[in-house]
Amino acid sequence: MSDAIVRVEALRKCYGDLEVLRSVDLQVEAGEVICIIGPSGSGKSTLLRTINHLEVPTAGEIHVNGMFINDTSLKGKAFDKHLCEVRTNLGMVFQHFHLFPHMSILQNVIEGPVQVLKQNKAEAEEKAMQLLTSVGLADKRDAYPDMLSGGQKQRVAIVRALAMNPSVMLFDEPTSALDPELVGEVLSVMEGLAKEGMTMLIVTHEMEFARKVADRVIFMDGGFIVEQGTPDQVFGNPQHQRTQQFLASIHS
Amino acid sequence: MFDWAIIVKYFPILSEAALLTLYISVISLVLGLIFGLAAALARLSSNRVLFGIASFYIWLIRSTPLLVQLFLIYYGLPQFGLELSPFVSGVLGLALNVGAYNAETIRAGIQSISHGQTEAALSIGMTHAQAMRRIILPQAVRNIIPPLGNNFIILIKDTSLVSTITLVELTMKTQQLVGTTYKPFELYLAATILYAILTSATALALRAVEKRMHLKTQRS
Repeated sequence: MSDAIVRVEALRKCYGDLEVLRSVDLQVEAGEVICIIGPSGSGKSTLLRTINHLEVPTAGEIHVNGMFINDTSLKGKAFDKHLCEVRTNLGMVFQHFHLFPHMSILQNVIEGPVQVLKQNKAEAEEKAMQLLTSVGLADKRDAYPDMLSGGQKQRVAIVRALAMNPSVMLFDEPTSALDPELVGEVLSVMEGLAKEGMTMLIVTHEMEFARKVADRVIFMDGGFIVEQGTPDQVFGNPQHQRTQQFLASIHS
Repeated sequence: MFDWAIIVKYFPILSEAALLTLYISVISLVLGLIFGLAAALARLSSNRVLFGIASFYIWLIRSTPLLVQLFLIYYGLPQFGLELSPFVSGVLGLALNVGAYNAETIRAGIQSISHGQTEAALSIGMTHAQAMRRIILPQAVRNIIPPLGNNFIILIKDTSLVSTITLVELTMKTQQLVGTTYKPFELYLAATILYAILTSATALALRAVEKRMHLKTQRS
């Protein structure tokens, strides 16, 4: 499978003595939607954060779009530059949004395209407005993040990532910090993205969403991928005891 | 006997001297901001040499009296052939001094911004420098302005110390007039009023800046 858009090989991540990722292998095909589930501390967020190098891998290799992310042959400034380039291919959505509070919604969205991709402002604004319209937030263009609800903030955060035209979107528990009534609006935006063919890696506790939208579900525990398969396989007929226990614990 | 006429008579001359005090303050303030920002960024940098130099600078300044620092620059450096004018010595001494305090204020302000902001900036492909300049510093400024304002007000008051290196600013001018009129109470009172005007105006200006920054991004 050489055409995998994300390729993770023998990935290991330790914090001191604590081994959070033991040996993870993962291939993501273009257009694939993968939901990663598992108990807290299983390493699922760390896996996602390691893919765009917000966490530095202890060992192993990560390739995105054919680019070797943690290429240790590159040093200093050369590596920083390489990293910036790789990251423009990866959209990241955080649990706590992390919108830039000193910028308006529109400024938040065009910041990357203008500062990093060096697009001209008018062009970036036009694209930003299209994206904001598609998530129903065109009228918030001049508002500031503090004026929005959590669900609105997260939709803006998704748009901010999409404005960079990434080939893969990474979602780190995008609905975990939201009030229950606001979860739906964010999930429906994500579902729309999945239908448009975006490649997505989603760490989530929303099992209904995973069942409905994912092409593949990955269950992680103790720093390993314990089990993976279609939603039907993983939810309907889990093979491993730990998967069964986890699913039972969240259904009860 | 308290003599109002003395205050009235000498107020214009003292006001002129206060202008020099203001001038020294403003230049030291700007330089002090540059020194402070540079030292703060050096303290946060992963470069060990920069970190070491900045830490030493901040430690040295904060653990010694300003008066001794001024004497070292003005009376000490000529021994090595470096003769600086009273004005340059005074401004340099004040700027280095307030810069060290600014550095710690700015560093704390930068560190008060959540790490998530840096991660979000990096995740859209920014370099660390871009993230600092575009995302972190503009937010940190808001937290930094009140304590920085404090440093500025202390700076204005500290300018009185440069009278000891022959600069005829407000304090020195007052001393000279006292010498000729023998009216210390009236003249030092006038100087007190002028210092209070300078520091209060600064405080008010800073409060206005602070208010404007908050209005912009908050729900009305």
